[in-house]
Amino acid sequence: MGKGQRAVHAFKSTEFIEQARDKDGLLLGGEQQHPFKLAPKNSSALLVNEKTVADVVPTVSKEAVEASLAGDGVRESSEPSELEAVPTLILVTTYLSFLMLIMFAHMRDFIGKIINPEQYVQLREQNGYAPMVSDFESLWTRRLYGRIRDCFNRPITGVAGGRVNLLERVSKDFNNTFQFTGRVLNVLNLASYNYLGFAQSEGPCADKVEEAMHANGITQGSSRAEVGRSRQLADTEDMVARFVGTEAALIVSMGYATNALNIPTLVGKGCLIISDELNHNSLVSGARLSGATIRVFKHNDVRNLEKQLRFSIAQGQPRTHRPWKKILVVIEGLYSMEGQFPKLPEIVELRRKYGFYLFVDEAHSIGALGKRGRGVCDHFGVDPREVDVLMGTFTKSFGAAGGYIAGSRALINYLRLHSHSAVYAEAMSVPVLAQISSSMRMIMGEDREHALEGQQHLEQLAVNSRYMARRLAEMGFMTMGDPGSPVIPLLLFNPAKIPAFSRECLRRNIAVVVVSYPATSIITGRVRICISASHTREDLDYALEQFSEIGDLLMLKFHKDKVAQKQLEHTTAIASKKNA
Amino acid sequence: METVASAASFASSASPVAAVADEPSRGLFRTAWDFSFRMVLRYIKNSYKDDPFRTFLEVCLIGFIVWYMAKPKYNIGTNEIELSEKEIDELVEEWRPEPLVPALTEFERETLDKAIMIDGPNGTKVRLASGSNNKPVLNFASYNFLGFVDSPELGKHAVESLRKYGVGTCGPPGFYGTLDVHMELEKQIAGFIGHSAAILYSQAFTTTLSVIPCFSKRSDIIVADEGVNFAVQQAIFLSRSKVYWYKHNDMADLERILKDVNKQLVGRRGKNALPRKFIVTEGLFQNTGDISPLAQLVELKHRYKFRIILDESFSFGVLGKRGAGLTDHFNIDPHEIDLLIGALCFAIGASGGFCCADKDLVEHQRLSGAGYCFSASMPGILTIAAADAIHALEADPDSYLDNLRDNAVQLRTLLKRIPGLQIDGAADSPLIHIRLAPDTLVRMKRSGGAWTKTDIDRVLTEVAEEAQKDGVLLTRAMYVDDHERILPNSSIRICVSSAHTRKEVEKCAHAVKSAVSRVTSKKR
Repeated sequence: MGKGQRAVHAFKSTEFIEQARDKDGLLLGGEQQHPFKLAPKNSSALLVNEKTVADVVPTVSKEAVEASLAGDGVRESSEPSELEAVPTLILVTTYLSFLMLIMFAHMRDFIGKIINPEQYVQLREQNGYAPMVSDFESLWTRRLYGRIRDCFNRPITGVAGGRVNLLERVSKDFNNTFQFTGRVLNVLNLASYNYLGFAQSEGPCADKVEEAMHANGITQGSSRAEVGRSRQLADTEDMVARFVGTEAALIVSMGYATNALNIPTLVGKGCLIISDELNHNSLVSGARLSGATIRVFKHNDVRNLEKQLRFSIAQGQPRTHRPWKKILVVIEGLYSMEGQFPKLPEIVELRRKYGFYLFVDEAHSIGALGKRGRGVCDHFGVDPREVDVLMGTFTKSFGAAGGYIAGSRALINYLRLHSHSAVYAEAMSVPVLAQISSSMRMIMGEDREHALEGQQHLEQLAVNSRYMARRLAEMGFMTMGDPGSPVIPLLLFNPAKIPAFSRECLRRNIAVVVVSYPATSIITGRVRICISASHTREDLDYALEQFSEIGDLLMLKFHKDKVAQKQLEHTTAIASKKNA
Repeated sequence: METVASAASFASSASPVAAVADEPSRGLFRTAWDFSFRMVLRYIKNSYKDDPFRTFLEVCLIGFIVWYMAKPKYNIGTNEIELSEKEIDELVEEWRPEPLVPALTEFERETLDKAIMIDGPNGTKVRLASGSNNKPVLNFASYNFLGFVDSPELGKHAVESLRKYGVGTCGPPGFYGTLDVHMELEKQIAGFIGHSAAILYSQAFTTTLSVIPCFSKRSDIIVADEGVNFAVQQAIFLSRSKVYWYKHNDMADLERILKDVNKQLVGRRGKNALPRKFIVTEGLFQNTGDISPLAQLVELKHRYKFRIILDESFSFGVLGKRGAGLTDHFNIDPHEIDLLIGALCFAIGASGGFCCADKDLVEHQRLSGAGYCFSASMPGILTIAAADAIHALEADPDSYLDNLRDNAVQLRTLLKRIPGLQIDGAADSPLIHIRLAPDTLVRMKRSGGAWTKTDIDRVLTEVAEEAQKDGVLLTRAMYVDDHERILPNSSIRICVSSAHTRKEVEKCAHAVKSAVSRVTSKKR
């Protein structure tokens, strides 16, 4: 176990999924109710709104519909947009806690500098050298992050699959240093981006990787534009293009670099980048490196985007009023900290009207969204050709590394000669390419021996994500994110609850990721649960049970009353219906 | 003052009488309110009684504040034009963006069509997919300095590690992406170089791109060599620091700039905090094959109180007795280099890069190094491949490095004998750029016009193609022409490997010679 066999077991049969469907009423049994036939064109198979399903199929068993309605109702009530619904008490205590933390941080520094000045030598100008890290800059790291350092950078060994082996470590000096105890903890992994469960060291993909390494070595020792382009690389690029649904694709050896080194080739001086305010750091770096003007629109606010567009096009470049050479709108396919999808159809509509170029970063969505796993375009039923630049990574769903840019042949040909990543950076290594092509073939159903497995991974992920989100909402937790997102952020708010949740989870053998400021806004500290297709129903049930206990312990079930009330209303409604 | 006091006593004694009886608490509040209100009123009355000018002045003041607050705000630095919705609609209708990417030129299309495609493993001998006969060619184009790219032992071990670590790590190092082998490799690299600590990044280019902006911020100062590779240029640009460029490897020019910078700082020291000051340069220059004079750099660093950021991407594993890079080459304590950046994808034959620094600075990067914090960690297989390669180099440096040096020196001497070429770089650098000498270009001058860069590129491409016919794979050094700060002169970059035999080196030199003579004698 832990070597990926577990995941293989999970896919041995489709029975489990069928069973799961019936139990939850997520999908309704019966022949004509096959999910793909029922799914509306613009929605992925399992992310169907149950209400629609219920409307379409009148012959469904009553209980199933009711169950799904109940689930959906609760889910909707906990939509993230209603941050104002956060109890005032929580808001006040959160701000107060941060205030207190910062006050204590300053006090500790103040007293520390008197009692133990040697410790602070690094922060002072000494011997004519400015400090490498300024006092103010590092306050957060030293005094706040330092308190909870044990919740991050936890080292692992082996594969980060459905379960992961953590190296146990302890700190005897308040998280300054860690010592390994030598024990290895096998814990449930709700932290890695292993959405489709392809992070395995056994199984068909690993076998293909081994074969490829025997045939092609390991690395190229050159950049793609010079002599790093192998037949394997060219073939994999073609496959990626076919998978995404574009004319051509370019593979880059690192996800971060895919954005940071390619955006500067697309836009430059005299161009404008309009970027969602919650875009990933790599997009921000890429935009800065390009030298273009950068403007930001409110997260997922299409009207704000349109306002910005109208303003920018009408006014032209600042000071000179010359028209912009190009406008590039940059959005993500799945915002990984929020679990939210972009409003792609509306933005594509705007693209037609205003003529800007659209760049979608599918780092998290490719493979994980859409009924065929083709990402956010598949999810919304948008033609991939409506998006000018489709970027994605292989780190997540494919269990590999690196990223790609896909688009028209003209675009990719230009990038092959002019992108910084293609010309200067190392070409993709052989095992990673093999992992990409083998997992992608499985998802596309082209691998004859494992024709069904890819689709099973996709279905399993969709069922798992919905199940988890629904159950969490039912328990009264405050979750964020769109239905069907494999990333489910669960809001914690108070800074003290952030490490507490992580440590409690670890004590119960669950690995989760907690994030707080500066990755999120100051009040919305959260735990981010990443669902994988390699989680079994038992895994999720175990996690939910433990979360529920922790939720009670940390008083996290903000919607508890609301849920109870809803359920009461629901049962009375059913009772009255029955009476009638 | 007395009147106020008496009024207060009067108020407090007068009003409560009625209220206290039924509602004591409310009465008390009203008393206080009454008391303060009357006091203020009386104070105002008293103070304005005999000073009408003051009243006038204060009314004016209030009037001014109201006027100031109400007046329309103006923005500094913008010159927006007021437009009606209809006008905006028209402008939107009119606006035609440039195409997302320009069309390729004829030469670019040719380059793309003729791009080399390797069939099978890369290494010292490769098979080309495009080749008509399936005979392997000698590879002098990959940065395979130590022959690790096609080392069979390393490959075998990597396959074994696949069965333990899979391929991807599925997360950034902060979120369960740190493998035990990452930590081991970090320790191994730090030990090998002799620095305090090291941090791994998953791509060499991004290592530089993350490390420099992580420490050098907007208000800081960078003095950089003009000949640095593109990754360093981009990193400096991203840091937004104030940058001064000194002439390539010219220590006198560097000293002049350092002096200048310090002189400028003297004046403003009182007002602002001292900025961080860095000298940024490369160990073995990718674009020329030159080696930085480290001893002088360290001396200047101490004299002018700068820090050194050294990009050892190409020198790590290549220079020095042990192959530990530039510090090993000059026998200088690696701690003198404040931030030492290296790559594992060139000489080491794996992937990614690292930064060696003091422990605090390495820990700082774990949160602030963008490429570390925001991207997935290096796959386990490649980490182990890197560790094995460094191990092999550590165990028996001579078997790799002696051969590499001999080959480099030999090839360089042979190439220097070829007429019409200009050979760049330090004597024992395995990175050799061959350029067409100016007089060759004059001799080859076409019937009309001067040489453009594309013409020279085309000639060099022909040379590479000719050499390929003789069984030697070469590549023109590729650049993104319009993004380089100073575009290096076109060249063919030859990378010598320790895995090449003496005979293969001779074959390479011979192939270059005949290719050059064939191409340059052609009529244009």
